[in-house]
Amino acid sequence: MSDAIPLLELRNVAKHFGGLYALSGLDMQVNEGEIVSVIGPNGAGKSTMFNVVTGLYEPDDGNVLFKGQSVVGLAPNQITRLGIARTFQTVHLFPNMTVLENAMVGQHCRSRSGVFGAIVRPPRTKREEERIRERAREALEFFGRRLAGYRQDQPAFALSYANRRRLEMARAIATEPILISLDEPTAGMNPRETLELRDHIVRMRDERGLTVLLIEHDMRVVKGVSDRVIALDYGRKIAEGTYEEVANNPQVIEAYLGTKAAG
Amino acid sequence: MGPVGVRSAIAAGLIGFVGSLYLALVGLTERFADLELIGEQITLGRLLIVLPPLITGFVVSRPRVVAGERRVASLGQASAAGAFAGGVAGAVFGAAVAFAEWFGVDRIREVFITVSPTLIEFLTFEQGVAVGFVILTVLGLIAGGVGGALKAASSRVRRPIVVGASVTVLLGLLQRIIPVAMRQLDLDPSVLYLPSAGLTVPAAIVVFALAAGANVLWTRSGQQVRARFRATASEQPIVRTAVLLAILAIASTVPLLVGTVISEVLGTVMVFMLLGLGLNIVVGYAGLLDLGYVAFFAFGAYALALLTGATLNTTTGAAAPAFSLDLSFYLSVWIVAALAAGVGVLIGAPVLRLRGDYLAIVTLGLGEIVSILTQSRWLQPVVGGPQGMRGVTDAAIGDISFRPPQNFYYLALAFVMLAVFVSWRLSSSRVGRAWNAMREDEQIADAMGISTTKYKLLAFAMGGAIGAIGGALFAVKIGSLTPASFQILVSITALAVVVLGGLGSIPGVVVGALVLIGLPGLLREFEEYRQLIYGGTLVAIMVLRPQGLIPNVRRTRELHEEEVEQDAWARSAAQREEPYATVVVGDTVDEEERST
Amino acid sequence: MGRLERLPWRTIILVVLAVLILATIAIGAFRTLTEGAYSADAWRDFIILGLAQGAIYALVALGYTLVYGILRMINFAHGEVFMFGAFASYFFSAAYAESGFLDREPLLSLTILLVVAMATSAGVAMLLERVAYRPLRGAPRLVPLITAIGASLFLANTARGFFGSSPRGYRKPEVLEGSWTFLGGDVPKIRVVVLLTAALAVVALSLFVARTKTGRSMRAVAEDSEIASLMGVHVDGVIVTTFAIGGLLAGIAGVLYSMTFEQVNFFMGFQIGIAAFTAAVLGGIGSIAGAAIGGLSLGLLQALGPSLILTGYHIPSPFQLREAFTFLVLVLVLIFRPGGILGTGEAEKV
Repeated sequence: MSDAIPLLELRNVAKHFGGLYALSGLDMQVNEGEIVSVIGPNGAGKSTMFNVVTGLYEPDDGNVLFKGQSVVGLAPNQITRLGIARTFQTVHLFPNMTVLENAMVGQHCRSRSGVFGAIVRPPRTKREEERIRERAREALEFFGRRLAGYRQDQPAFALSYANRRRLEMARAIATEPILISLDEPTAGMNPRETLELRDHIVRMRDERGLTVLLIEHDMRVVKGVSDRVIALDYGRKIAEGTYEEVANNPQVIEAYLGTKAAG
Repeated sequence: MGPVGVRSAIAAGLIGFVGSLYLALVGLTERFADLELIGEQITLGRLLIVLPPLITGFVVSRPRVVAGERRVASLGQASAAGAFAGGVAGAVFGAAVAFAEWFGVDRIREVFITVSPTLIEFLTFEQGVAVGFVILTVLGLIAGGVGGALKAASSRVRRPIVVGASVTVLLGLLQRIIPVAMRQLDLDPSVLYLPSAGLTVPAAIVVFALAAGANVLWTRSGQQVRARFRATASEQPIVRTAVLLAILAIASTVPLLVGTVISEVLGTVMVFMLLGLGLNIVVGYAGLLDLGYVAFFAFGAYALALLTGATLNTTTGAAAPAFSLDLSFYLSVWIVAALAAGVGVLIGAPVLRLRGDYLAIVTLGLGEIVSILTQSRWLQPVVGGPQGMRGVTDAAIGDISFRPPQNFYYLALAFVMLAVFVSWRLSSSRVGRAWNAMREDEQIADAMGISTTKYKLLAFAMGGAIGAIGGALFAVKIGSLTPASFQILVSITALAVVVLGGLGSIPGVVVGALVLIGLPGLLREFEEYRQLIYGGTLVAIMVLRPQGLIPNVRRTRELHEEEVEQDAWARSAAQREEPYATVVVGDTVDEEERST
Repeated sequence: MGRLERLPWRTIILVVLAVLILATIAIGAFRTLTEGAYSADAWRDFIILGLAQGAIYALVALGYTLVYGILRMINFAHGEVFMFGAFASYFFSAAYAESGFLDREPLLSLTILLVVAMATSAGVAMLLERVAYRPLRGAPRLVPLITAIGASLFLANTARGFFGSSPRGYRKPEVLEGSWTFLGGDVPKIRVVVLLTAALAVVALSLFVARTKTGRSMRAVAEDSEIASLMGVHVDGVIVTTFAIGGLLAGIAGVLYSMTFEQVNFFMGFQIGIAAFTAAVLGGIGSIAGAAIGGLSLGLLQALGPSLILTGYHIPSPFQLREAFTFLVLVLVLIFRPGGILGTGEAEKV
């Protein structure tokens, strides 16, 4: 661990639902420019951790620091504006808006014209609207031809499953984040699409300079992209390190096998 | 009768009977008994007798899925099934009339006050119970058969007939507006209309033929015309401007043509258009159901009255209110709008965290609080209590007062145009996009960086401002205010206006206001059934066609969320397999329109 | 997960608001009491009136709560279900009053009136579900809401068309006239009957939901209708049953209300509906005990609130503002404790 302030830091974060502890005293850090994967069996608290980081849940205990500042108590939209973008485990698009509009929504927090601008449309607003469109296109083009051309004017619900996932990522990229959190981005994708996405994740960092926090079940992806892997079980960190270190950690093996045996 | 079983036809017939019975018991049939639409025989009341069996025949012949196989009735089968079901409906209704006569009209009247000897006479065509029974049965048979045939006919035949018939009936209903306008244009109304009654029979046939023909032409080449117009309009913006100017020119000559009485009605239509446009921002754009919209309307009216120096009505004459200014209308209206926006934020702030249905009921409550306060003794020194206020400004410019209906129309038109412009600009902007996203999925919008609180408040503020302007204009229009004008019905009327035309659709609001405010205003017979019709409209539209009459494209998709994917599937299947396509796509009018 | 903003100023405003409201109440109540505007007897009458009124609210509130628990939908038209039951029983009561049967056989005729009202209300409720709500299952939330408000207006005006717009006088059996002496004061008999009947109905409902197979299915559907249907519960059937039960209770309430106020009219459903919904929210929507508690609390609040608080400020005709007071209670409950007295706060899944 370097001496610099980590980009994202969770300190002793706890979150429970009724009597069920989804997170209990979780400590973890993500440094700028890293790709960090979070693994763990179902119900280990991975998605809860995401929801706490992005402000959907407020932690019952502990603190979440982004660039050294606490984000606990901020609304999700404020956290997004600070530079944390996310995708969801089950795809959540605005299904009846077009593909381009979906991405343009991502630009919302980087633009500011309001009612006056909307009604009067001064040159400033026109320029801003143009810029929003431009950047949204750019975010869509991150996925090459997948979301380009005529597809941009289609309603989002008309996309194939894999493209919906890509659009969700493009929308997150359009918010111009520092940290992008991807919740099982390859779920439901076929092997070829998964492979392609693996490259995209690496490119997110290399080309767009994003720090990536990834929840992933597909170990080939985890192995292929991660600088560091953190394993969770029962809302705690049980292992951390390179992929090999974590994969060979007996506790991790037990966590997976244990749940497999139980399930 | 092909795929339609006897049992289901009887069941449908009984439902049709219940429809006829309902219309008779609720009083609509008798109320419209003498409203002649075409000639002297076809009255709206008689139309209401044949409509239920007609719809029964139409519905009973719908394609059915039997053991996984889709069965479409042939024309003959459908007519037979429809006639049978319609006949059942007519016969049972006739029997019910006979029963009522036998049982004693006076005894039934103790429960259902609408049952009277006049009603029985009307329902039996003044021919006595036995003959009446036969007539009702035969009418049911014919109407049902026509309904069944219509359903089985291809849409190329059905549509012109339905459109032609609707236009003819509409013109018949407009019997108090069109003759007046014709006289203004030095035309002789007796070409079309009987003296103070509906269309003449030849005129009706001509109208029907014209409307049906126009529909055929439109179906054949309407798409191309529209596409060509769009293309030209996008290349040469001047075309669009010209069309807008033409609409404006027509809109501004209307009051000159139709005279004072109808201009008066149109003034009310305009006020509700404003309310609809304002509510459309809240409900249609932002997806927040506000059932207390009357609060803004009342606020606008009373605030304008107070700002422009109106006085209180008391039993002893006029009195100065506890608070009063004497500003000009053209200054006050903007102050009122700004204040209303503020009120919108104040009302919204505490309740916007609530989920949709709670929000609806809380706004309903706030609306009620406002109407209770306007009539309370507590606020009597300020707003006049039950007696209300009088002497509201007439917004005169120089010598031109805007109180006379024909002048008021222009004042209202200006504000409606402004509201349309604002709505249109908002809908295609960053703000509109944020509302869209929020309406589709509030939590995700929040997670994508949209402050949902801010945009909800913004919607409330914008909607509130426009609604308050509507109230201010209303105050100018009637000159004196009483709490009776500010009841919950205003909220529901505005909602019905928005819903009928289509949530989120600006042309929809215009049409909704014309239909729901204009028609009942022109036909005083409707007056006591207004609320019934509004309630029925809300339910019927939501169940049958949630996107409204003139849908906003996006909302259409959204409100049919469940079906959309299936439709997409069906259409792609249609492209693969031709025979299946004709069945699926030709099924209902709805599906055809959705695919355009 | 309903929260949007977590800025501290929101909390600050709420606390300030709460303090202001409490101060207003305390000062108003203090001044009213020290000025002695009402006698002790008057207060007792207010309380009894409030409880009886609250019992009726509770019965109607149960209809809202049951439907909300299952469909997560506010059945705005429930007030009209209540109104139709009241009207149906009116015609029987009027006929019996004329023939003298009402006073000769009060118990039997009361039973018949209750059965008629319950059957009518349940019928209307089931029809409403079938015609207006069932086609909308799975539609976006706005759609059933708008439908429900439309249905409410439609039903109220149907009654207006059928039965006329003038109120009709409702007679109760002679045995229920007058009052019993109780705790050193006169308590109108009808109020006692209302309270007892309502209590009985609530107990019966609780037992039904807790003990029977149907009750179990209802709870299962309320928990998760999809899973319940996978487990072999006939969801549509359960929904219809729920509407029917709500209707039965509304029918009882209809008879009790009409006998208390001795009239029926076509718009009686609206005010009762809103009040009952408020009661359901106040107690914690979705909970049977909540509806009962909420109903009684609201009844008391309505009976005592305006006179206790507003009189202190010398606001003329405080009872004119009674309905406004109801709505204010609703708004405040939703702002400060959206889960109601018993609820834990509605949580929405992501």
